Amino acid sequence: MNRTQLIEELRRIVGPRGLVHRQEDLLTYDADGCVMDTGEPHVVVVPETTAQVAAVVKLAARAGVPIVPRGAGTGLSGGATPIQGGIVVSTARMDKVLEVDVRNGRARVQPGVINFELSQQLKPYGYQFAPDPSSQKACTVGGNIANNSGGPHCLKYGITASHVLGLEVVLPSGEVIWTGDGTPQTAGYDLTGVLTGSEGTIGLVTEAWVKLTRLPEAVRVVLALFPDIAGSSATVSQVIASGLLPAALEIMDRLAIKAVNDMYKLGLPEAAGAALLIEVDGVEDGLDELLHEITAICQRNGALEVRPARTLDEQTRVWAARKNAFGAMGRLAPTYYLVDTVVPRTKLPYTLEQVGVIAKDYNLPIANVFHAGDGNLHPLILFDRRNQSQNQRALEAATQVMHVSIEQGGVISGEHGIGVEKQDYMTLLFSTDDLAAMAGLHQSFDPLDLFNPGKVFPKGKGCGELAALRRAGVEWGALKAAGMM
Amino acid sequence: METNQLLRHLNESVGAEHVTDEPTACAPFSVGGVAPALVVAPDSIAELAQVLAAAHAAQALVVPWGGGTKQRMGGRLAQAATPLLVVRTQRLSRIVEYEPADLTISVEAGISMAGLAATLAEHNQMLPVDVALPAHATLGGVLATAADGPRRLGYGTMRDLLIGIQVVEATGRVSKAGGMVVKNVSGFDMMKLYLGSFGSLAIIASANFKLIPRPRAAATVLCSFPTLEAAFGLADAIQQSQLNPVAVEFLSGLNETAADACQLAVLAEGLPAAVERHVRDVSQMAEKVGAVEVQTLRFDDHAAFWQRINDLPQVAELAPGEMVLRLTCLPAEMGSTLANAASLASRGGLKLLTDARALSGVAYLRLAGSGWQPLQDYYNALVARWPNLAVLAAPADAPASLAGWGRDPAGLALMQQIKREFDPQGRLNPGRFVV
Repeated sequence: MNRTQLIEELRRIVGPRGLVHRQEDLLTYDADGCVMDTGEPHVVVVPETTAQVAAVVKLAARAGVPIVPRGAGTGLSGGATPIQGGIVVSTARMDKVLEVDVRNGRARVQPGVINFELSQQLKPYGYQFAPDPSSQKACTVGGNIANNSGGPHCLKYGITASHVLGLEVVLPSGEVIWTGDGTPQTAGYDLTGVLTGSEGTIGLVTEAWVKLTRLPEAVRVVLALFPDIAGSSATVSQVIASGLLPAALEIMDRLAIKAVNDMYKLGLPEAAGAALLIEVDGVEDGLDELLHEITAICQRNGALEVRPARTLDEQTRVWAARKNAFGAMGRLAPTYYLVDTVVPRTKLPYTLEQVGVIAKDYNLPIANVFHAGDGNLHPLILFDRRNQSQNQRALEAATQVMHVSIEQGGVISGEHGIGVEKQDYMTLLFSTDDLAAMAGLHQSFDPLDLFNPGKVFPKGKGCGELAALRRAGVEWGALKAAGMM
Repeated sequence: METNQLLRHLNESVGAEHVTDEPTACAPFSVGGVAPALVVAPDSIAELAQVLAAAHAAQALVVPWGGGTKQRMGGRLAQAATPLLVVRTQRLSRIVEYEPADLTISVEAGISMAGLAATLAEHNQMLPVDVALPAHATLGGVLATAADGPRRLGYGTMRDLLIGIQVVEATGRVSKAGGMVVKNVSGFDMMKLYLGSFGSLAIIASANFKLIPRPRAAATVLCSFPTLEAAFGLADAIQQSQLNPVAVEFLSGLNETAADACQLAVLAEGLPAAVERHVRDVSQMAEKVGAVEVQTLRFDDHAAFWQRINDLPQVAELAPGEMVLRLTCLPAEMGSTLANAASLASRGGLKLLTDARALSGVAYLRLAGSGWQPLQDYYNALVARWPNLAVLAAPADAPASLAGWGRDPAGLALMQQIKREFDPQGRLNPGRFVV
C-alpha cells in the first residue's frame, strides 16, 4: 500500500476533517516536548470515536505501518515522536468528559481531555482528578495514563496509576476491550495496571474511568526560604518524621528563585538559596496547629523567612511561582533540558551537590525545581540550542545526572517516561533478564511491534528479539559473556 | 525426569534438611486435596532460582507456599503425570534494605506481615495493608493474592504501595522491576502484573514498598443499627461529607440480637484534632440515621477490635459446611448488593456473616450450611448478578464448580496470552488462576 492509498483509506475512516497529510502541516507532529529527536509521520489522523481508532489500527496492521498515539504533545521523552514514521493518532478531538459518577467516585473521560479542565469540571461536584503534572493546563489525561504521570500532589495522593480504574483500549489487533469499570479486585491479571505507563506501546486508550478525589475541606501552604538546600532538605525530613504526610513538598534552588522572582515580582530575598513549599490538607481541625509546627521546624532549620499562606489567594500566588517555574526559565536561557530522575529522599542533598558539580564540569547553568518529598529531581540544564557545543554538553550533563542518580540508588525517570530520550539508558538500570520480562509482557499485546515502535526498549535490542531469546530459553549469562547482549 | 532425580537436584541446591519427600511431612502442604511429592524451602533468591530451574527440567508442577493461609483460594489445581513440588518461601524472610528516613523498605517474600509490621513500628512507620492472620500470612502470599484490608479506603492497597519487585520465573530466571523510590516510570510497571497473579506467572522473591508514617492519633466509632439500610445510610452520609476516615467497615451476622444486627465501624487516623472531629461528626451522623448504639473505641480496645475484623475473611480454618466468598461491585451498589446477598442466604437456609469495605465495593461473605449443594445454589444465584465473585474457600467435598474467580473477565484471551508467554508449559499453579 503506498502513501496515497493509505491516505485514501484513512480519509474513508476518519473523514477529511480528521486527516492531516500536507507536508507543512505534518511538521507540527514531528516531535513532542522532547526536541532532541524528531521523525516525520506518514500521516496524522484525528479520530472522534473508538470505532474510528480501531479501524485505523486494523488498516495500519494491514499496511504494516506503525501507530503512534499522541495527546497534547507535551511529553518530554519523545513518546509521541514518530521516529519510525507511521500514522500518528491524535486524541485532540476525543476531548469530552462523558460521565461524572460521584456516588461511585469515578468519571468516564475521553483521552484528549485536558488534565486541568477535567479537574475544573469536577470542582462543582467537590472533586478533583488528583494527578497534576506541571503541564496540566495543556497535557491530556490520555497522555497522563500513557506516561503514568506524577505531579506535586502525588506525594500524598499517588501517581496516575492509582487514579485509573479502567480503560477502553484498542489493542494492536484492532480489538477493543474494557479492562475495568471501577469495580475493585476483579478476576485475572491487572491489565489496567500494566497498560498505565506503557507509553502507548501496547494499547491505545480511547476512554477511561478515572478516580475522583474529594477536594479537601481545608488547605494550608507554607513558603519557607532557606540560605541553602541543606536547611530545606532537613526540614522536609523532619516534617515527614513528625508523623504527617504533606500533600506536597516542593523545592526551588537559587537560580530558579531568581527566574520566578524576575518574572512574577514575588520579592523573594535574593539571599535565599532554596525555597521550600509545603502544603498540608485535610479537615480544618488541627491544621492551624500543624502550620505552626511546620513553621517552627522551618525556623529551627535556619529559615530566613517563613510565609504561611492561609487564604486561597495567597496559596494560589505561592503555587504560581512553582507551577510556572519552567516557563520562567526563558528569562535565563533560550532553551532548557529538563532531566527527570529520582533518588531515595535522603540522597537528595548529595545528589543536588553533584548536580552542581556537573554544572561546573560542563560549564552550563543548572536550575533545580523538584519534588522533594518523593526524591524526584528536575535539574533544568540551561543552554542555547543554536550552539553546537552547548547542545552536546547539555546532553552529556543530562547523562551524568542519570549516572549520579543511579549510583545513589535511584532511577532514570520518575514521571516523564523513557520514550526515545532515555531508552539507551535502560541498561544502566535493568539487566537483560529484567528487560526480557518486560518484552514478554509487550509481546503478549503487540507481537508485530505495531504500536509506538522503537520506544522504551534500548535501541538495537528490540522487544521482539528480547522476547524471542527469552522464549528460546537462552542462557543469558553465556550470551552476555559472548558479547551478544 | 524422575522425582528421585529432582530430589537429588534439590538436595544439592538447598541442602537435604530443607527438602522432603516423606509423605507425612508433605501431607500438610496439600493443595485441593493433592499432596505434593516434594516440599522444598530455599534460603536465598539464588537457591529459589536453582529450585525452579531444576523443577522446570523435571517438568514438575510448582505451587509457591508462603504461610499457607490462603491455599484454599483459586481454581482446582490441574493434575499431571509429573511430580508436584511445593516451594516454601518461609526462609526468605530477611529485610533487604530499610532506610526509615526514605520511607521505603525492601523485604524478602517469606516475612510474616506481623514481623514486618513490628520492624516498621520501631521506626513509627507502617505498611497500612491489614490482612487476616498476620502472624502467619507472608508478604509474598499477600501480594500474590492481592489481599486488601479495611484501611484501603484511606491508604489504598498493595497496588498503591508496591514500588519494586523481584521474581523468579518458571525457568529459574530472576528478574526485577521498579526500584527503591516512590515514583518511577522507568520501564513497564511489572509490579502490577505480578501483584494478584497468584503465582501463575512467577514466584515473588522480594518486594519494595512505600511506607507511611504512623498517625499521631486514631479512634474508632462503632455504630450499631437494626437494619442494613440504616447502616449504609451512615456510609452514604460519610461519603458525601468532607470527612476522610481511613476505614468504613460494614459488619453483619456478628451479633445475634435484631436491634444491633448490623454495624458500621468508622476508623479515623491523623492529627488528634482531626480524629476528634471525626468522632464527633460521625457520632452525630449515626444518631441522625437511626443508630441504636454509638461507641468510641480507643487504644487497646480499638486495636483488638480491628484485629478481629481483619481476621474475619480468613480461610485458613473452615468450620464444617463453611464457604467464604469475596464479592466486589461498584461502591455505590454495595448496600443493595449485600441486602440481596442476605435475603438469598436466608432463603437458602444459610447462615451469613458479612464483612464489607462499605465505601470501596469489596465484601467478604462467610456462609455456613449443611452440605455443599445449598452453597453451590447460593453461589450460582449470586454470580448470575454479580460476576466478580471469588470463591476463597469451599468445603473440601464441594465439586470443582464451586471454586475459582467468578465469571470470566473481559480481556481473558489477552490474559491467557500473557500466561502462555510467561509460563508456556503451564507449570506454575496450573488451573488455579487465568485458565
